[in-house]
Amino acid sequence: MSGLEVKGLKVVFETDDGIVEAVRGIDFHVQPGERLGFVGESGSGKTTTALALMGMIDAPGRVAGGTALLGGVDLLRLSPAAHAARRLVDVAYIPQGAMNSLNPVMRVGAQIADGMIDHGTGLGRSARKARVAELLRQVGLEPSVAERFPHELSGGMKQRVAIAISIALKPQLLIADEPTSALDVITQRRVMHTLREVQDAIGAGLILIGHDMGLMAQFVDRIMVLRHGRLVEEGEVRQIFRAPRDAYTKELIESVPALERRQAGTVAAPKDATTAPIIQLDGAAKTYRRGLFDRAGVPALQPLSFSMAGGTPLVVSIVGQSGSGKSTLGSLLLGFLAPSEGRVLFEGRDLQTLSSAERRESHRRVQAVFQDPYAAYNPFYKVDHNLAEPLRNFGLARDRASVLAKMREACELVGLDPDQTIHRFAHQLSGGQRQRLMVGRAMMLGPRLLVADEPVSMVDASLRSSILGNLRRMKDEQGISIIYITHDLATAYEVSDYVLVLYRGRVVEAGDAETVIKDPLHPYTRLLVGSIPWPDPDRHWGGDERAEAELAERDRQGGREPCLVRSTIPGFSLAA
Amino acid sequence: MARALPATPLEWGSSRRRWRSVFLYLGRNRSLGAGLLLLLALFTLVAAGHAFYDISLAEPLSASPGKPPSARYWLGTDKQGRDLFAVLIVGTWLTAKVGLLAGFIGVVIGTILGFVAGFFRGWIDAVISLLTDVFLAVPPLLILIVIAANIQGSMSTDAMVWIIAALSWREPARRIRSQVLVMREAGYVNTARLNGTGSFGIIFKEMMPNLLPYLMVSFVLATATAVLASVGLEALGLGPQNEPTLGMTVYWAIHYSAFLLGMWWWVLTPVITLVVLFVGLYLVTAGLDELANPRLRTGGAR
Amino acid sequence: MIRVLKRLGLMVLVIWLAASINFLLPRLTDRDPIEERLAQALGDSGGSAVGIEEMVEQYQAKFGTDRPLWRQYLSMLADTARFDLGVSINYFPDRVSQHVLTALPWSIVLLGVATLISFVIGTFLGALTIWRRSSAWLARIVPLFMVLAAIPFYLVGLILVYVFALVLGWFPPARGYSVGLNLGWNPTAIADVAYHAVLPALSIVLAAIGIWALSMRGMMVTVQGEDYMNFARAKGLSDRRRFWRYAVRNAMTPQITTLVLSFGNIVAGAILVERVFVYPGIGTLLYNSVLLVDYFLIFGCVFVLILTVAISLMLLDLLYPLLDPRIRAGGEAHG
Repeated sequence: MSGLEVKGLKVVFETDDGIVEAVRGIDFHVQPGERLGFVGESGSGKTTTALALMGMIDAPGRVAGGTALLGGVDLLRLSPAAHAARRLVDVAYIPQGAMNSLNPVMRVGAQIADGMIDHGTGLGRSARKARVAELLRQVGLEPSVAERFPHELSGGMKQRVAIAISIALKPQLLIADEPTSALDVITQRRVMHTLREVQDAIGAGLILIGHDMGLMAQFVDRIMVLRHGRLVEEGEVRQIFRAPRDAYTKELIESVPALERRQAGTVAAPKDATTAPIIQLDGAAKTYRRGLFDRAGVPALQPLSFSMAGGTPLVVSIVGQSGSGKSTLGSLLLGFLAPSEGRVLFEGRDLQTLSSAERRESHRRVQAVFQDPYAAYNPFYKVDHNLAEPLRNFGLARDRASVLAKMREACELVGLDPDQTIHRFAHQLSGGQRQRLMVGRAMMLGPRLLVADEPVSMVDASLRSSILGNLRRMKDEQGISIIYITHDLATAYEVSDYVLVLYRGRVVEAGDAETVIKDPLHPYTRLLVGSIPWPDPDRHWGGDERAEAELAERDRQGGREPCLVRSTIPGFSLAA
Repeated sequence: MARALPATPLEWGSSRRRWRSVFLYLGRNRSLGAGLLLLLALFTLVAAGHAFYDISLAEPLSASPGKPPSARYWLGTDKQGRDLFAVLIVGTWLTAKVGLLAGFIGVVIGTILGFVAGFFRGWIDAVISLLTDVFLAVPPLLILIVIAANIQGSMSTDAMVWIIAALSWREPARRIRSQVLVMREAGYVNTARLNGTGSFGIIFKEMMPNLLPYLMVSFVLATATAVLASVGLEALGLGPQNEPTLGMTVYWAIHYSAFLLGMWWWVLTPVITLVVLFVGLYLVTAGLDELANPRLRTGGAR
Repeated sequence: MIRVLKRLGLMVLVIWLAASINFLLPRLTDRDPIEERLAQALGDSGGSAVGIEEMVEQYQAKFGTDRPLWRQYLSMLADTARFDLGVSINYFPDRVSQHVLTALPWSIVLLGVATLISFVIGTFLGALTIWRRSSAWLARIVPLFMVLAAIPFYLVGLILVYVFALVLGWFPPARGYSVGLNLGWNPTAIADVAYHAVLPALSIVLAAIGIWALSMRGMMVTVQGEDYMNFARAKGLSDRRRFWRYAVRNAMTPQITTLVLSFGNIVAGAILVERVFVYPGIGTLLYNSVLLVDYFLIFGCVFVLILTVAISLMLLDLLYPLLDPRIRAGGEAHG
């Protein structure tokens, strides 16, 4: 085995507007047992390169040149049928969407076995079954999983099954395309460790495609940075992180929140310590009922009480994985959901008892930025609809000229060119532009409180810092209190003054960002912090077995222990 | 998926450019183009016939009975002395009228029900959904037969409109409800609430414009279903006895065994007219569906 | 199981609704079916109208129409619940059920076979159209079927009669079997019945293929976009396996839903096919009872048709969990 040797790979797409070069001639090699990372943003050509190696470039695209030698065979010269016969045998692919990559109507075992059948391993039925069991064990699953259907497995288990499929025939090269993008960080770490183990076991080369520099730092040996179909920089991982040569590489690295960097400044002294709380949760809880007969329901959020003073602008983060109840909390704060018990008070008044006119009026002072910046715009209107409507409804601008002036101002606040923005439809803007405009909209309205629900999770990494910076500025310059809801401890660390860690509908740990994240106490927080792939190749990305055991023990006991309050902060009080 | 929502297919510009883009779009959406062309041809013929042909010949005993197509009676006459070309002109119009009116009433009722159910949810949604499910569970023709059989003698085209409308709200109600359910969770509806837009504004300014394509599809679909139902009832002999609708013409032709009498023109005239009408409506629905639902646009994705 | 119970509940509601309409409408419109029918019968036979009042009373006593309205309504509901459809006005004193049960097997066999054939062919063609290797003739013929699907079965039937029975003379234009044939389980009779069934069945098949092809095509487009199809390709699986085990298998689940949703319409649409071919099934019976204004028989036919649809749908509901493991496990209805 001599690994993969790619020279001058070119992929073009023929469109109505002529030929677009997606990959413009790149060279690279992957040694057996080596891990190579492909980094770049959407459109950089990283996935296209992988597809070319898999022989899965479809019309209107085609491979326009180059060679890719693997075991003495040029993959790019193979006929489609011959190439298909090489997949799984020589080159295997671990897909991105683990959640949906398995056939929902087939048992897991059959999906591992069918590749063996179609590639003619000559194994009999019982030998195949034994091999399936062996593979499942290898990726850390019970052999009995073979009899289950995909919907009975968790996301992490499904991704392990996908890994088992890919190593079934011991290929020379594994291509993993953002294999953990749909998983939470704790599962991500475990799955990536398994992937590393099985790769070492079969001695294959591995290409990891992704945009998360942290994950790259922890997982690969060598990094290739791609941009617009060209190789920007290539190097050994430590060298790339320590001394990036290219400005773009530097930008990518800096866009990842790290423990060394923190935008959050010191907490301003309360302007007026006596101000009434702006928002208060008074034992608010939410339970979802499934159908009429579900008396017990599914608890999404356990009773929670806190209060945030209006006079002290703060950024308070609520950190939790999916299912922790953080989005439910966001909807409660905005009055979109009614709590099933307790109250949510805005400026001292129960949101649920407000008249609809009063509630409308209240939104002038509570605003939000949502996760999906595309869905936030009505596709029927140009983007200015979202700026002009609140200006008119809240009486912030009287005539057309002042509406326009305010809209232009909003664009400029977040660094967008008004002439290139206002008269466009949302689909004509990039994801980052859309989200920046939503932030600009919130700044323009000058609310007292902003609920930012995962505002950067769907935005390219390089724009994250600038959007988070805008949020900080809203707090510092406009005195707006911010509740930042996220799954990502790292960004929470970057921007927040105070952090609440939400686990299974309950706040388990709270305190200032520095304490909670640098020195976590609760096993869940410890596990979470330990699982984050920090952008530092020398930092150990190991699991915390003790934390795992402790957490499992607490779960068994029902997890009713009080929240660990590490520190307090003026302007925010949590009733633990 | 929010991204599946229609991006306005037509860029609004000067009216000339707008028309040009309409034609360009019809060129690409071939089933919509072909369907509109078929319907247009049929209705041009009907309109021209109303203007230039003696439509009183559609009355029984107004022409000499049982004549094959000739220069005098273009499509021949039936056994009761109706000129079949006049029948085609009058009947197509009557059938289209029933379909359009019943379809329109059905869509209006269905949209209101679907909207109320999807927007307000809760018990009102439970009631409306149950009602819709009950009515969707029956083949509509069977219920229509029971109704029509009971008021047989006094049936008129107007009564027909109401009877059919009584069942043509079901599909629109279901379609609009599911669309509204998706839409009310859409990011832009939440944003609109933050924009200080009230329920009224959310319904009419935010949701309605995006529902328009679905309403169009629902209307054409409801019209096609209504035409299907009315012609079916008529062909069973349950239509208005004294009006030369296309369905009644089929009924009489079967009743008098026109084929066995060798009077093929009696059968083929209404049948072919109906085929053109149904195919036209089908193509338009398919085309509009494609417009409202871009997912179907992929012709042969690998 | 919840699906099946829900379906059962819906069907009871539907039959109650139909029965109520059938009961109330004549009374709302202030017409007396029996009197009308007798007057018509008398008129047909040329007899005098003398003594008609007396006859009406006799009949009404027999049909129970002289009792208070609410008692009539309750006893009608009780009868319907016992599957007692009463006595035909026209074929008095024959029971409705007797006529309906004679006609039913003809319809079930014709419809069952035609639906099965069209479902299999249509689904397969629809699946093939968006598979990469489908040939050019397929790309032309399938849209043709889809257009045919827009035309009601009986209109297709009329055209088939004209072409294949009258112009070409290959098949009989009407009836379910030859005059004078001794019906029974012998080869001659079966061949004769099958020969007569070709055109009526074909008119349903031709028009229904497109329905299945169209919906299957839609499902396949959706399935093709799924991640697991892409992964199956990345696994280098054979075309055949990807087509059958991955694409078709997954598209079948919603396709069955479509079958469930449109089955009732197919049954109703076939009524007129029977009429066109004077086929001895429920459709023709229904047509004749409309012609003879026999309310009890009309309701009997509609009742049996609704029941048939209901039972078929419940069978499909029971079959459904076998197709979709997600339903098997959760018991949740996925629509």
